[in-house]
Amino acid sequence: MVRATIEIPRDNAEQKEWAIIELQGDLETRHPVPLSGKFIGDLHFTHKDAPVLIIGHHILHGKVVTLEKPLAVLAKSLEHHVNVQDMDVTSDSLSPKHEASSHSVSYHVETIITKKILFKTRPKPIIAHVPKKL
Amino acid sequence: MDEIQIASEKEQVGALPGALNSNTESIDLDPSSPCITDGNLAINTPRSRSILDINHILEFAKLEPADFRSQVQCLYFSEQLENDAIKLMELDGPLQDALKSGERIEIRGDPGDGAVVVTGSQTFDVKEAETSNSMLMISSLSYGPDIPNEDDKSIIKRQVSSIVHNYYELRPIKPRLAKLRALLSENPFRGSECEGDELDIGKKYTFSELQQRVQASDAEIKRGLAKMNTCELKGVWRLLDFEYAATVLYHILQLCEERDWLQNGLNMTECLQVLGELFPIEIIKHMVTSHSNENPDTMETDAQKNIYNLCEDKICKHLAELCLKNSGKFNLNDFLRAWQESVPDGMKTNLSQIEGMALVDSDARPPVIWYYSVDLLPEDVGERFEVLFEERKKWSLEDITPYIRDLTDEKTTVNALLTKYARASLTNGIKMFSSRKTN
Repeated sequence: MVRATIEIPRDNAEQKEWAIIELQGDLETRHPVPLSGKFIGDLHFTHKDAPVLIIGHHILHGKVVTLEKPLAVLAKSLEHHVNVQDMDVTSDSLSPKHEASSHSVSYHVETIITKKILFKTRPKPIIAHVPKKL
Repeated sequence: MDEIQIASEKEQVGALPGALNSNTESIDLDPSSPCITDGNLAINTPRSRSILDINHILEFAKLEPADFRSQVQCLYFSEQLENDAIKLMELDGPLQDALKSGERIEIRGDPGDGAVVVTGSQTFDVKEAETSNSMLMISSLSYGPDIPNEDDKSIIKRQVSSIVHNYYELRPIKPRLAKLRALLSENPFRGSECEGDELDIGKKYTFSELQQRVQASDAEIKRGLAKMNTCELKGVWRLLDFEYAATVLYHILQLCEERDWLQNGLNMTECLQVLGELFPIEIIKHMVTSHSNENPDTMETDAQKNIYNLCEDKICKHLAELCLKNSGKFNLNDFLRAWQESVPDGMKTNLSQIEGMALVDSDARPPVIWYYSVDLLPEDVGERFEVLFEERKKWSLEDITPYIRDLTDEKTTVNALLTKYARASLTNGIKMFSSRKTN
């Protein structure tokens, strides 16, 4: 049986909204090395507030989209855990079966996101002519 | 071409052109040395970036730095990149309001039930939605309008803390209360003298235990308990055994006839005094209130609260159930006579009182009636119709309505349900509904 709670922590009523940058496909390195710490790209905004993202030598033109339904970012709260090690903390799912061992799980809302930056068009490659060496 | 190419040399790890020091190395964006990354974007090793690097890239991209706002946000994966650290959950209006007002919402259910999310008063089905897009989560980011326009470019490092490919969609649903009945049926209350006897072996549940097992909000569980003839006794919720409840109500009705309470209203204090020796007080109270007219009670004084008017329809329904339950098919006319005789003087029976509890076959000779309660039918709409069409091939609108009304809501009416789950046809000029399945 499961009973996991979700709440907005009382102490930070003024939560800062997170951002989502949504891209088609996946980001990968050319070699299977961990992504941690890696540089992704430069995000620019035009004077008309349109986002432009340059990753590698791909240009992505996107737009800021208001979410139809806001998204809550949930994170497991650790302070209530009596038996953290029993639980499948890395579980991908909220589904009860993954948490059968305990019902003291609780989540807190880190933030509620109302908009995202969506890059839904195919990235344009930067086609550069090779600079001539002097 | 599905592949997105990325070309680079000098560094096997895939150096980003702009990340190289352009003073000492030439930059090669020769597309003839492709690195195919299977439809995915390739990213590169970290370097500390300078305005020069950024402008350099813009130049290659044939973009004019002056066309952009002065602040450039360089995105990096966090050193603690942790994709499973967070979950995204779609919030609709009521859920967001509940959260913001500080209400605690919960995920509930037994393993195998699938998760539901409940607020204090509503239940939501949880479905996981996957997307092939990558959502990069960034705890802090500036949007165009936030960026002041200054002459000098500035750089801000932004960290992506996780990449997410799924989120939970929530959909308001009717509470799943069948489990409530199932759990409480494990050990119904058959009277104080039966507690601890050889049949008193099933589990008894506290409200908190029910909250853990039943996929419904607290308010919905409470409504379900109230509807189901249950009582909280010594901290646990018990379903009253039907025979037992009938005995208690029989005594209450006897007392009412003795004291003329059917006309004048039942005096609770007195009732508890007299019957309290025989039955637990909670149960007497429960039986009286659940068989009384609902009071618009908020403004009542204590003195008035003590007086209850028993509800004719509820009493008649109870006595019909007593008659029909466990007795199979009953000759309709015999039943109607016996039923009327069983109710207190002055009360009048009517078949409309027991719709949703008994079915009549007027085509049979003689016409018959039998116990068939909507409370025992499946909650799932599809299963409900399947069971109903097993019981009876064709239903009139009038007959089927009481058996599906509980599945309706503001958006889905009885007619909408029938349109979706049944086939309509005319029999002797009367519209009848049958299964959509052909067999």
